[in-house]
Amino acid sequence: MHIPDGFIDAKTALTTAALSVAGVGLALRQVKRELPPRRVPLLGLSAAFLFAAQMLNFPVAGGTSGHLLGGVLVAALLGPAAAVVVLTTVLIVQCFLFADGGVSALGANVFNMALLGTVGGWAVFRTMSGCLPGTRGQVAAVAFAGWCSTVLASLACAGQLAWSGTVAWSVGFTAMAGIHMLIGLAEGVITALVFLAIVRMRPELVPANGLSPAPRRAATVIALGLIVCLGLAVFVAPFACPWPDGLEAVATKLGFEHRASSSLLAAPAPDYQMPGIHWAGGATAMAGVVGTLIAFGLALLLSRALVPKSCSSGCESAPTRAIRAD
Amino acid sequence: MNLLGHHHAHHESPIHRISAFLKLGVGLALILGTVLMPVGCHVWFAVVAVFLALVAWLSRLSSFFLFKRLLVLSPVVLGVAAVNAFQPSARVSWLGIAVKSALCLFTVILVSNTTPFSKILRVLKLVRVPGLLVTTIALMHRYLFVLAGEAERMRRARASRTFTRRRRVRWHTLATVAGQLFVRASERAERIYDAMCARGWK
Amino acid sequence: MNPTIEVANLKYRYHDGTEALRGVSLRVAPGECVGLLGPNGSGKSTLLLHLNGILPDRPVADGTVRILGESVTSQNLETIRRQVGLVFQDPDDQLFCATVQEDVAFGPQQLGLNETEVRARVQQALTQVGLAGFGHRATHHLSHGEKRRVCLAGVLACEPTVLVLDEPTSDLDPRGRREFKALLRQITATKLIATHDLELVVELCSRAIVLDHGVVVADGPAVELLNDEELMLAHGLERPHILRHRHPH
Repeated sequence: MHIPDGFIDAKTALTTAALSVAGVGLALRQVKRELPPRRVPLLGLSAAFLFAAQMLNFPVAGGTSGHLLGGVLVAALLGPAAAVVVLTTVLIVQCFLFADGGVSALGANVFNMALLGTVGGWAVFRTMSGCLPGTRGQVAAVAFAGWCSTVLASLACAGQLAWSGTVAWSVGFTAMAGIHMLIGLAEGVITALVFLAIVRMRPELVPANGLSPAPRRAATVIALGLIVCLGLAVFVAPFACPWPDGLEAVATKLGFEHRASSSLLAAPAPDYQMPGIHWAGGATAMAGVVGTLIAFGLALLLSRALVPKSCSSGCESAPTRAIRAD
Repeated sequence: MNLLGHHHAHHESPIHRISAFLKLGVGLALILGTVLMPVGCHVWFAVVAVFLALVAWLSRLSSFFLFKRLLVLSPVVLGVAAVNAFQPSARVSWLGIAVKSALCLFTVILVSNTTPFSKILRVLKLVRVPGLLVTTIALMHRYLFVLAGEAERMRRARASRTFTRRRRVRWHTLATVAGQLFVRASERAERIYDAMCARGWK
Repeated sequence: MNPTIEVANLKYRYHDGTEALRGVSLRVAPGECVGLLGPNGSGKSTLLLHLNGILPDRPVADGTVRILGESVTSQNLETIRRQVGLVFQDPDDQLFCATVQEDVAFGPQQLGLNETEVRARVQQALTQVGLAGFGHRATHHLSHGEKRRVCLAGVLACEPTVLVLDEPTSDLDPRGRREFKALLRQITATKLIATHDLELVVELCSRAIVLDHGVVVADGPAVELLNDEELMLAHGLERPHILRHRHPH
């Protein structure tokens, strides 16, 4: 989902860059305040881990392969602020060293994947794992959150492409959201599998719900959340909401209904298209809702398949070996 | 492990000798200029293309290597081109986008393959990128080859004991390798911290 | 004369409860080169990490470690780390900078030296390990032997009084081992070397200490200890071949 150079115009690039600088700056401040010095190298190593893990190709179908983006995984292990820093690092290195994502589009890519996807996904994870108990709950939460992060990032990406005039929203949204609702499944599954593997090997690496790294500064989390919402408002909402058109159509029709005949079926020619647009918008929204519910259900099923009943309230792994050998 | 041939950055050529700050600055200016230039301005694109070709020739990088790296863009460009070509409402032509993308990509490839990463880090520090972010980028770069190597060795060891083609088993294997990789990475992070403290880091 | 390293009844338990050290006592005199032997899991690395204060990582009161007469406490870690240079087991853990120059310069920079002094120390240290001119090389491109030598240079650049090495020749090919041993021979600082390389102990160390299950089980002249086949075998070691052809002096 890395946007190359030339696909977004100046205003989009600048807006996303500004949001990203603000968001990453906030995350850095939070990390400096919260992270014990002992864990500073872990940020760089997690970024290296994500990169190395992204090279492991999970066979999907035929020649396709899926791989992990990893925002939600890192957020579940290190907290949202650290995850923002880690993902930003990965995106910067990918951009400059591997030309994966354009330089002028770095702001957009960071916003979509390191901020929106990661923080949004983490919020879903926290909410869901707070409601569902035990290891099973965490696995389901991390799976669904992984899916959400992919879809959210793709929506913002589609919005940015539309705002730049590269790809019209109607096409971009359907294509991006559609494809990423599928890709998101892989992200969710892989995130869940790797998360579970880590929980089993080293449960102490996974922060328990409600404890560290719970951000003590609510203000920072709120500020990060606001930036995310702002971005959504700018890039997604104006295009995404079919309701204005839908509402207008309905209102006009009703207006006409008042003025014209009482028959609901008869409609003057200019309005003939209106119901079509209204239903198309409605259908898209319905598809989105249904897709989300399916992903949620799949996440629950996955957690059931992966975590046996006996372990659902939290597993103790085999005796952990000392960190320093000998 | 030859991750996209990064030894190129340490070769010798007139371009390699130019200061990193200058290369990054010029590269950035070129990219921004190309992105901002309206599609109709063919002169700019032609001039940039010629300039890049000249730099590529002077840098003594293999043209085969450069071409291979440019191909990375093709799936994305083709995808967007296909979409773009079918919608009359799009304001920008796909060819214009493709040309801009290719020129910017080429610039990044040239700069990154003629500049050692440590010098890029120094420039980042110079332009006041926050220290924590620079340290994280530095450590990521230092250890991504180490971790990639570990991942590959673990994957091979696992594969040697996998006697089935079932996708489910392969996914489980890869996930375990990834999980183990994170565990090792976090243990290594602790040892790195100890090594930093041992030489006086505060 | 005060021993350079003095460890008295040192105990350490890991977070998961494993007792790594159960009362270790030893002394190293100034200028001595002592080999620390023991099977895997005997506590060698854990012991070494106590010598520059990395362990214990939580306040405990089990035993003391004294370097040049001064007790290692959480207050004087800076001074201790200037005096004790620790070369880690995995060179990739110690070489965390992007280039050789940067990594060897790390220690002197942390010491607060100015740029000219730092550069001089780096130059001297690299020459001492036979890697003069390697400054600009990227650390991830080095061979294993070169990495180990850069690690040594990075520690030597801090000019420590005591040099502590954790398995310095493991994973080295025979030539690498010979070269590294030659380097160590030229360093006059007090040395404590944890190793499985029994030939190294015979060639370089005047004294050997055997650690097993967290306690010292033997402490004496290196050749004498290593010749004691029963002792060696009892603690997961063996009598090195190099001694089989030597006549006892």
